[in-house]
Amino acid sequence: MATTTATITLASTDLLSDELALTTTATLTGAGNSTGLTGTTGLGRKKLASGHAQYTLFDGNDYTANKAHKLYLKNTSTTAAEYFEIEVNSEQIGRIYAGDWAFIPWMANASTNDIKIDPSADDMVLEYMLFTDD
Amino acid sequence: MATTTAAVTLTSDLLSDAMSVSASTTCMKAGTTADGLDQMEYGVVEIATGTAYDIICSTPTASKASKLYIKNHSTDETYYISVVLDAQAVGRLYGGDWMFIPADFHDANADIEITSTGGTNIVEYALFHEGTILTAS
Repeated sequence: MATTTATITLASTDLLSDELALTTTATLTGAGNSTGLTGTTGLGRKKLASGHAQYTLFDGNDYTANKAHKLYLKNTSTTAAEYFEIEVNSEQIGRIYAGDWAFIPWMANASTNDIKIDPSADDMVLEYMLFTDD
Repeated sequence: MATTTAAVTLTSDLLSDAMSVSASTTCMKAGTTADGLDQMEYGVVEIATGTAYDIICSTPTASKASKLYIKNHSTDETYYISVVLDAQAVGRLYGGDWMFIPADFHDANADIEITSTGGTNIVEYALFHEGTILTAS
């Protein structure tokens, strides 16, 4: 069985009076079981060409519904004002600005449950990886 | 300015080549490089099976660079919380899973709702933001 882990560290020495140092690791397993996730797209990059229209990154119809898929996204831009708006179907989740990353559970519960990205500028580069629970 | 960093490391042996991907970001206010997110909510709640709850009860300023961390502390692999945004299902966090997402709270309906399934789930959350509309007493 493959083993995939995701570790997050949130740290700050000056946001609170006490130091914030939160670290946790999840071993990514299938929905309702302890079997490791079985698929991945691998790490990829996309450069969104001119016109910066909304782009469907993953189609909900292509993945098994109501599972424990996990999605990693990173905005590689170094221009502070540039962001990707992340949407599921037509609902905005939020914006990842330059250098920001996100790790999102995705259940692909309907054919319309697509992951969409909308860059704020031309020629932005998105890094992404999907771990799938097939 | 407060400095808060968020780092992730993903490792896997799914591929022929062992994979290790890391990223780190300093959580900044929207569109800036000089001013970090300086406010946060942090808590732990027990969520009983059934009802959907808003995990963030206040109303953060819309269309900013807020970041939301949620972890399901359940140890039962069949337990999960569903994460829904304005009636749009996003995903499930099973026992031990965590997520870190941008949350722009773009309108009054854009609440982050969670629903517990399987049993009572213990949910840890942290919201880093740059302002919120407090409820008048």
